[in-house]
Amino acid sequence: MNCEAIGELLPDYLQARLNPDLTTEVEKHLAGCPVCGEEAALWRKLSVLPEERPGEGLQSRFKAMLESYDEGRWENTSLAEEKRRVPTRMLWGLGNWRQMPIAGVVWACVFLICGFLVGRQSSNNTGSENKIAELQQDLAATRQMVALSLLQQQSASQRLEGVSFSRRLPQPDPQVLNALFHTLRFDSSVDVRLAALDALSRYAGQPEVRRELLGALEGKQSPLVQVALVDLLVDLHDGNVVAQLKKFQQDPKVDPTVRKRVDWGIQQLEVSSF
Amino acid sequence: MSDEELMGQVRSGVGEMLGVLFERYHVPLFNFYLKLTGDRMTSEDLVQEVFFRILKYRHSYLVDTPFRAWMYQIARNARLDHLRKRRPETSWEPEMSPAVEPVDTAQQSQEAVLLRSALLQISEDKREVLVLSRFQDLKYEEIAQLLGCEVNTVKTRVHRALQELRQVLHQLETRPASGKGQRGAWPAPGSVQ
Repeated sequence: MNCEAIGELLPDYLQARLNPDLTTEVEKHLAGCPVCGEEAALWRKLSVLPEERPGEGLQSRFKAMLESYDEGRWENTSLAEEKRRVPTRMLWGLGNWRQMPIAGVVWACVFLICGFLVGRQSSNNTGSENKIAELQQDLAATRQMVALSLLQQQSASQRLEGVSFSRRLPQPDPQVLNALFHTLRFDSSVDVRLAALDALSRYAGQPEVRRELLGALEGKQSPLVQVALVDLLVDLHDGNVVAQLKKFQQDPKVDPTVRKRVDWGIQQLEVSSF
Repeated sequence: MSDEELMGQVRSGVGEMLGVLFERYHVPLFNFYLKLTGDRMTSEDLVQEVFFRILKYRHSYLVDTPFRAWMYQIARNARLDHLRKRRPETSWEPEMSPAVEPVDTAQQSQEAVLLRSALLQISEDKREVLVLSRFQDLKYEEIAQLLGCEVNTVKTRVHRALQELRQVLHQLETRPASGKGQRGAWPAPGSVQ
């Protein structure tokens, strides 16, 4: 057999997949041909390369990723599904409030106040515009109360409802905004944090909201939220945040994926500011 | 529990089972990337990316199909995306890579240093096939499926990879100084890619 024919058989020989006859043939050639012999020897020689161990950081990064997945997973199958489910569940909450103790109580308060106000309105048929405005104010206050109350619940899905509810407020008061900021930073579920970010993005035009968003990047924050925050800041086209993003990027504790995203964000913002 | 059973559980939402798969495969994957890139930090990032994608795309895993093949498909795509995204102006900073214990270097034979260096100098497609077949224990059929080519193409590439490796080694041996003086166990990627 010539070198060309051996070359075709060599890979199978190296993985010990030739029949005994062909194996003998190949070995005979390898013993007499220095070039082919050396190639076969190289395959074996590669075993001198030791198995390397990755750094400790990889393990902890993996654990952090799994934890953030678990936090969202056990109660909500996925953020997308949860978002889709929220509106129907809120209606469901209306119809079956007795089965949902906490949300039920909250809804009961809403009905009670609305009923009282409507009753007062109907009993006084000379209702003036002032009273209607008063009614609207009371209703807004009740909605805020519901949102705040839901945001403080034990269950992540109810807090998620709270975040969704806050969207129904035309102008959330500082208390609701603060509750949303708190949720964005400290909620135990990444999904709820992401939903809070989504809700806050509507008010991102306000300087204090933007300041809080930048602040939420730091500290013990999930990389998923950090990436979403960077994306939001890029969408706002505010070149003023670049300096703070650069400072944040210098932090050695920042996850490499997030750092890359920040890098990209800075680039986008710098390009758009020209 | 088999890889496939574990992945089946991950697919149905039991995220913690991914921890078992991580224990089994993070070192082989790290070595796969290290031999391809020669860069520890990039390799660690890519391993993390693979497990992130496994979780993200868990529903695309077909139950009872070989997990390893699916995982290497993801690993390969992650690397291709990484190469695509890598910006040429980003320079590699040595301090970003963890320091290598001097004892490692001392214990490494001259032969290993040369082989490692040579491996990083052969062409990318041949190196990939050689690493997959020699170190990751994939069968030629599995590699062919992974790369989307004929089994014979894989075998030819393995043979060519060995031919090229032999030639590069000879060149390195005739100028031994070039292989020395590298910092750490693996040369900086900028010097080889």
